[in-house]
Amino acid sequence: MPKGMFVDTSICTGCKACQVACKEWNGLPHEPGHFRFDPVEKRPVAVNFTGDSYDNTGDLSAADWRHVRFIEQFSEDRARSRARWLFSSDSCKHCNDAGCLNACPTGAIVRTDLGNVTVQQDVCIGCKYCIPSCPYGVISLSEASGTVRKCTLCNDRIHNGLGTACAKACPTGSISFGEVAGLKAAADRRLAQLKGLGHADANLYGYKEAGGLNVFYLFLDRPQVYGQPETVVVPQKRLPVSSAVTVVGALALGAAAMVSFRERGSREEDEEVKK
Amino acid sequence: MNPEVHVPGWEWYYVAMYFFIGGVSAGAYFIGSLAELFGGERHREISRTGFYIAFPLILLTPPLLIADLGRPERFWHLLFHAKSGFPYLNFQSPLSVGSWALLLFGAMAFLSFIDNLVAEGRLQSVPFARAYSRMPRKWYAVVGSLAGFFVAGYTGVILNVTARPFWAATDPLIGALFIASGASTGAAAIYLVMAWRKKIAAAGLPGLDRFDRLAKVLELVLAVAVVLLAGRWAAPLLRGSSAVMFWGGAVLLGTLVPLAAGWYLPRAAEGAALPERWATVLAVLVLVGGALLRISLVHAGQVQ
Ligand code: SF4
Repeated sequence: MPKGMFVDTSICTGCKACQVACKEWNGLPHEPGHFRFDPVEKRPVAVNFTGDSYDNTGDLSAADWRHVRFIEQFSEDRARSRARWLFSSDSCKHCNDAGCLNACPTGAIVRTDLGNVTVQQDVCIGCKYCIPSCPYGVISLSEASGTVRKCTLCNDRIHNGLGTACAKACPTGSISFGEVAGLKAAADRRLAQLKGLGHADANLYGYKEAGGLNVFYLFLDRPQVYGQPETVVVPQKRLPVSSAVTVVGALALGAAAMVSFRERGSREEDEEVKK
Repeated sequence: MNPEVHVPGWEWYYVAMYFFIGGVSAGAYFIGSLAELFGGERHREISRTGFYIAFPLILLTPPLLIADLGRPERFWHLLFHAKSGFPYLNFQSPLSVGSWALLLFGAMAFLSFIDNLVAEGRLQSVPFARAYSRMPRKWYAVVGSLAGFFVAGYTGVILNVTARPFWAATDPLIGALFIASGASTGAAAIYLVMAWRKKIAAAGLPGLDRFDRLAKVLELVLAVAVVLLAGRWAAPLLRGSSAVMFWGGAVLLGTLVPLAAGWYLPRAAEGAALPERWATVLAVLVLVGGALLRISLVHAGQVQ
C-alpha cells in the first residue's frame, strides 16, 4: 500500500518546524552559499539566499528537502481586507509517474514497496539528467557528494513503522503521513468543510498530476500561486513524438543523400563541366 | 510549463562540446555510409574520408561526458547496473539508450577505420579482418548510417525530453536540427580533411556539395522553426549571449554565409567550383557555427 503525505496548507502557520526536523533527521548540511560580487554593496553577496522574505531558502535543493513557501498577498495600498499570507510546506511529491525516475540512466532512482521514490546514493553517477526531468524542480545535485539528493519520504523511518520526520514535527497537523487512500478520504472531507466555510477557491492538488502524487496538497488559491504548475506533462510522455520527428529528420537527410550521391546525377554534372 | 524546474548545470565546455564533436563524427560517418550506399565507386574518397574522421573524433567524446559527471569514477554504471553487474538499459531515458548507441557507433567507427587502413594498404595483417570484410559492404553502410544518425540526433532528444521550459517548448525539433547540423559540420570536416590530404580533385565532390546544401537548408528551416515554436520561452534566443551565438554563429556562419557564398563565389570566380581557399574558410566557419549552435541551445535551456 503506498504511503504518502497530505499537506493541508490552510492550517500551516509557517513555523518551519518541518524544515528543521527534516534537516535533523536526515543529517542535512547547510545550504552552500554561492557568492557573486555585488556592485552596490561592493562585496561578494550570496545570491542563493533571499534576504527579503521570511522564506529563507527560496527553493528546494540537495540540502533543503523541505521548503516552506511564504506567499505574501498584499494589495498595493496594503488595504487590510485584501491582505493574506499563505504558507505551504513543499517537498518531493513522490509522483506515481516520476520524471526523475524515468530519466535515470543507471537505475539509481528507485521506487520502494511503499511507493516512495529514492536515490541510491552509491549508484548515482551525477549525470544530472533527472534534474531538468522533474516537472516540480525538486531533485538537485549535491556539490558535496557529487550525486543528486532529495526527500526520501524518510525511507528509513517509514520502513520501520514510523511516519515522516516533518509530519511528526508539524505542530498544527498541516502535514499528515499515512496510507494514500486514507489521506485522500481525509482531504476530501476537509475540502468539503472549507467550501462550506466559504473558501470557494480551495482545491486539492495532486490527484491526477504526474500519475497521481503520493504527497498532495490542499490549497486556498490556484496552485500557480503556490508555485505548482497547473498542467504537468511528465517529460517522457513526449519521447515517442520527439523520437519520431528526429527519425523523420534522418529520413529527409537520407533522401537528400540519395538524390545528391546518385551516379546518374553526377554523370550529368560531369558532362556539364566538360561543356 | 514550470519555470521553477531546476537547471542541470551542464557545462558548455563538456556537454555542448560533446554534442558538437559527437555530431561532427556521426555526421562524417553517416555521410560516408550514405555515399557508399548511394554513390558507389565515384564517391569512394568521400566515404573513406568520413570513416577516417569519425573514429578519432568519437574517441574524444567519452572524456568530455565523464568529466561532467558528479562522480566520474562511476561512469560504468551507465552500461552496467551497479548492484547486479548486468547490462542496464532504460528505454525511457535517451541518455541510457544513447550510451549504448555511442558504444555501438564507436565499434562501427573503429571497424571502418581499420577497414580504411587495410584498403589503402597501410595495414597489412589485422586479426579478424577477413571475418568482417566478408560482410556485404552495403549492409555495413546501412547499419553505420543508422548508428550515425542516432548519435547525431539523440542529444537533441535529451534536451527536448525534459521539463525545462525552453527545451520542452522546442520539442520535438532539436533532434532533427542536430542531425541536420551534424550533416553540415560532418561535410565541412570531410572537406577540410580532403583538402589537407590533397584529394580535392577527387570525383564526387559535387555530390557532397549538393548534399551539404540540402542539409544546410534543412538546418536553417529547423533553426527558425525552433525559435517560432519556443514562443514566449524564446527570450534567451532573442537577447543576451545565447542570442548572439545562435543567430550570429549557428544561423549566419553555419548556414546563411556558406549558402550565399556557395551560390555567389563560383559565379564571381567564373569557375565551376568554389575556389579552394574560400571553401576552406567556409568549412571552418561551418564548424564554428555548429559548435555555437550546441552551446547556445544548451545554454538557453539553463538561464533562470
Ligand atoms: S517531484 Fe520530482 S523528484 Fe519527486 S518523484 Fe516527482 S519527479 Fe521525482
